[in-house]
Amino acid sequence: MLSFIVRRLLQSLPIILAVAALIFVMFSVIPGTFASSMSDDGRSVLDAEVMARMNKEFGLDDPVYVRFGKYVAQLATFDLGTSFRTRQPVAHVIADRLWPTAQLAFASMLFAILIGVPLGFIAALRPGSWIDTISMVGAVSGLSLPKFWLGLLLMYLFALMLGWLPSFGYGGGDLRYLILPSVALGVAPLALLARTTRAAVLDIMNADFVRTARSKGMSESKVVRWHLTRNALVIILTTIGLQFGTVIGQAVVIEKLFSWPGLGSLLVDSVTLRDIPVVQGSILVIVLLFLLINMLVDVLCAIIDPRIKYT
Amino acid sequence: MLKKFVITTALALAMSAGAYAETPRKGGTIRFTAPYGSSFANLDIHTSNRAQDEIWAKAIHRSLYKWDANANKPVLDLAKEVKVSEDGLVYTYKLRDDAYFHNGRKMTADDVIWSLTRQMDGAKAYPGARYVRIIKGAVEVEKGQAKEISGLKKIDDLTIEMTLAEKVDPGFNFYQPMLSIYPADEASKDTFATKPIGLGPFKFVEYVPGSRLVAERWEKFYEPGKPYADRITISIMGEAAARDVAFRNKEVDVSILGPTQYVAYKADPELSKGLLEVAEVYTRVMGLNPNFKPFSDKRVRQAINYAIDADLIIKRLVKDKAYRATSWLPISSPAYDKDMKPYPYDPEKAKQLLAEAGYPEGFEFEWTATSNESWGIPIVEAVIPMLEKVGIKVKIKPVEGTVLSEVARSGNYQAFIWSLTSGPDPLTSLKCFHSATPQSACNYTLFKNPEFDKLLDEAAATDDEAKKLENLKKANAILREEVPMWWFNYNKAVMAHQPWLKGLQPNATELAVQNYEDIWVEASSPAK
Amino acid sequence: MKFRANLVIGGVLFAGVIIAGIFAPWLAHTDPVMDANLMYAEEAPGSEFWFGTDAQGRDIYSRVLYGARISLTVGIISQLINTVIGVCLGLSAGYWGGWWDDFVNGLTNMMLAIPSLIFALAIMVILNPGLTSLLIALGLTNWSFTCRLARASALSLKSQGYVQAAKVLGYGDIRIMLTQLLPNMLGPIIVIGTLGMGGAVLAEAALSFLGLGIRPPYPSWGSMLSDARDQITTAPWISIFPGLAIFVTVLGLNLLGDGLRDILDPQARTRRA
Repeated sequence: MLSFIVRRLLQSLPIILAVAALIFVMFSVIPGTFASSMSDDGRSVLDAEVMARMNKEFGLDDPVYVRFGKYVAQLATFDLGTSFRTRQPVAHVIADRLWPTAQLAFASMLFAILIGVPLGFIAALRPGSWIDTISMVGAVSGLSLPKFWLGLLLMYLFALMLGWLPSFGYGGGDLRYLILPSVALGVAPLALLARTTRAAVLDIMNADFVRTARSKGMSESKVVRWHLTRNALVIILTTIGLQFGTVIGQAVVIEKLFSWPGLGSLLVDSVTLRDIPVVQGSILVIVLLFLLINMLVDVLCAIIDPRIKYT
Repeated sequence: MLKKFVITTALALAMSAGAYAETPRKGGTIRFTAPYGSSFANLDIHTSNRAQDEIWAKAIHRSLYKWDANANKPVLDLAKEVKVSEDGLVYTYKLRDDAYFHNGRKMTADDVIWSLTRQMDGAKAYPGARYVRIIKGAVEVEKGQAKEISGLKKIDDLTIEMTLAEKVDPGFNFYQPMLSIYPADEASKDTFATKPIGLGPFKFVEYVPGSRLVAERWEKFYEPGKPYADRITISIMGEAAARDVAFRNKEVDVSILGPTQYVAYKADPELSKGLLEVAEVYTRVMGLNPNFKPFSDKRVRQAINYAIDADLIIKRLVKDKAYRATSWLPISSPAYDKDMKPYPYDPEKAKQLLAEAGYPEGFEFEWTATSNESWGIPIVEAVIPMLEKVGIKVKIKPVEGTVLSEVARSGNYQAFIWSLTSGPDPLTSLKCFHSATPQSACNYTLFKNPEFDKLLDEAAATDDEAKKLENLKKANAILREEVPMWWFNYNKAVMAHQPWLKGLQPNATELAVQNYEDIWVEASSPAK
Repeated sequence: MKFRANLVIGGVLFAGVIIAGIFAPWLAHTDPVMDANLMYAEEAPGSEFWFGTDAQGRDIYSRVLYGARISLTVGIISQLINTVIGVCLGLSAGYWGGWWDDFVNGLTNMMLAIPSLIFALAIMVILNPGLTSLLIALGLTNWSFTCRLARASALSLKSQGYVQAAKVLGYGDIRIMLTQLLPNMLGPIIVIGTLGMGGAVLAEAALSFLGLGIRPPYPSWGSMLSDARDQITTAPWISIFPGLAIFVTVLGLNLLGDGLRDILDPQARTRRA
């Protein structure tokens, strides 16, 4: 187990470097620069001199390999660079957005897990029943709606018409503001979890080894509880881990709609503004978080099902 | 059209004038919105030229001048009086002695000089540099040849003397929030970037990046009795639909409206009472690159102007939230010619002109556009069938704003559609079409007309206001005739406000940017 | 026999959408791009315009029909690419293990760790917006989920009795993977695949929302939806019908996936008692 964890941590290093290199290369060929984004509203014209100075100040005049070298050297000292837009260290810019993002991600996943997994379980235990059909159709519906449409609908219903919840913003940490964005964001993972749980439980219920256990004389309920739970959990946990990454990416649309100050909207804004250091920094942070979460998930899976050998 | 504009502006002025007739109430919270994006750049206004950032900067900072929306010109703010020399190049300012920074210290000439000199830092790139460059000696600082601006002299603690390198009205340069005056000692510290200190009516309290900024009343603000409100919260809300919901839900006090909401709010008996409309100084145009062969012929460019039914587009697509453009200068410009008529919709004439120019079968071109709802791809989509009728085929090239900005300045386009600032000063905005102005500055269509140049040069040199305006009018007429662009419309900015918010000003340079000290909140506001 | 209903309803819906797309030129009333008459802008659904008109005065019914072509192409092709890549990598990694498993794991982790929407966005920014770029962007960024699932299933199943038996019988690795392992993991993979198709259509809507979708003025349901987001209160039909189209398509795909899974799962037949 320990060797597995160490190996995974070591494996993460080249991944992070690879991601850093990939993102760096991608954004070095992108058209448009921060300087030109400053005058994209046709308003205050940024003159050529100032633009040239800007590019020089940001080191954009150096050749690509020089810039990459500097970047890697920076990373080695855990320095994520300086944001073009705020002129502050990228780490500060990202840190401001970390807590709201974490809140949104955890709340949505909690919502999805607490409702989706039991739903899928029940549906699998009574396949073909009306519960099965209704839950699955409901889950599918949730997955078929575009998020900003769903978000707007929720906003309209709960904020404008019923007045139960605030319609936008962060609210300085007031949890009521978290509800609508999390539901809008969590409906899709919920549906996916319900369906995956159902499929996984169904598949395993019919696998040979369950039949073997049954033939060994173990009672029905014991069979359900022991083997089912253990094996299904592996697949479900894997799905949850994967969904975390999706949720952070999908959060962009919800964050923009609800004015939620998270990492997703920071990323998209920075891409639009060509604030390259922040783009690189936030992607790296997201990657790191994701790797850690998935490692946790794999460890849990190995604990639950010792037959899975991570040689 | 012009009549409508005059009536609208008169109403707006009457409303704000009428507002002043009521007694402002002291107290309450102003809940403003910043609609132009999902974030502020940072808390150092010197680094940003965007309208979005000016919205928060106006609460916390002040500049030498400020824009008077009712008089439609810049007026002195941090200076009490100014003496101009005979040749119009030396301005002597007597600064206010009652301006205090939020840390309690009194403003002095040192602060003004420090703030303006900072803009010319050659190692950094401050967008305000181009405005400070009019001061003699500023260029030398930029190039690193001098440490101080020779043309900016401190006479005493409250008097400065500014010598200009060219004859312009510095008010138009220095009213911008990006040229705010900072406290010289505090601004160089690191803490300033997270806790700005300024001279504005409100003191910084907190900033949640991507969400909102909060500021509270500065008791020692130099305008007595102001600001009226206790606090101001500025919520960043880039999504029009979300802003609409929040406004209807009474969670915010103002909302800049897009065309769709404009129609809905106008039709609503309650909401229509709280609409502030202003003709802003923006002209929406389709730039035509003369290096693309068909566009080098004036007849083709005119044909395009005849082929597009701009009035219909304005009426149905932009929902009347714009004024038909006749040429470059907008309606609110002092040099606007109200007798000048726009190109009529005449597809037959367009076909005739095209045939004359040698394109009887039409031609195809690529149109670069962003997804902006008022001057982007939706407009292009409406124009495509109209051009198709006269034989011109269009291919859309969708780009982001930053790429549009790049291709326009580098000439890497065949046609583009954009909203460009065309004021408030007519001479400065017409200068964009002077042949000496490079394409990378704002002469995106490489306009070159000797008669035009001559009119502008004369206007710049003369002191006779009447002659100046006459020249500028004539120059504007040349632009109409030569059509380097398709003249689409002038923006009508609309701001919806709750009935308890009073004192808003019809700011033609940018409606969303207000002088918050003049705004007050009635007791009926749900925010306490 | 509820599960058969899945197959039938899903199949009918999906077939309906495909037919709409293929026969759009005959079923539509107008040209989806050129017939834009501003005089009829934002008209409610009626006898002339079955689904109403949009802000440019274009018939929404016709645009929804033509939009089926693009949305279906995006959904089917990009997900096909995703599934093939994912299964190949995941199955082989789980079965062979060793350095290949490490490599695929690393690659998958890298891909999974970057949010697919962001990655697709970055790709769309570099390549110009358009159908091909969209297929590349969506096809290359969504295979990791399938891969992981395939790998986990392979890991779980490779120690099964029948696999060991096949090995003893001398079956080659590829044959074992394709005939023994693949069929037993098809269930979740097909489910993920069909959901992925719907997800691709929704991803296109999200990218359009962020300004980087299909090149206008061609109709795609996603761009129709995001263009209409400001008019949700005043002219809701502009967004309702493309939204409904997406919903029906994704619903059909999902039901179809379920039905197929039930059929392909060899043990499923004996379960109905």
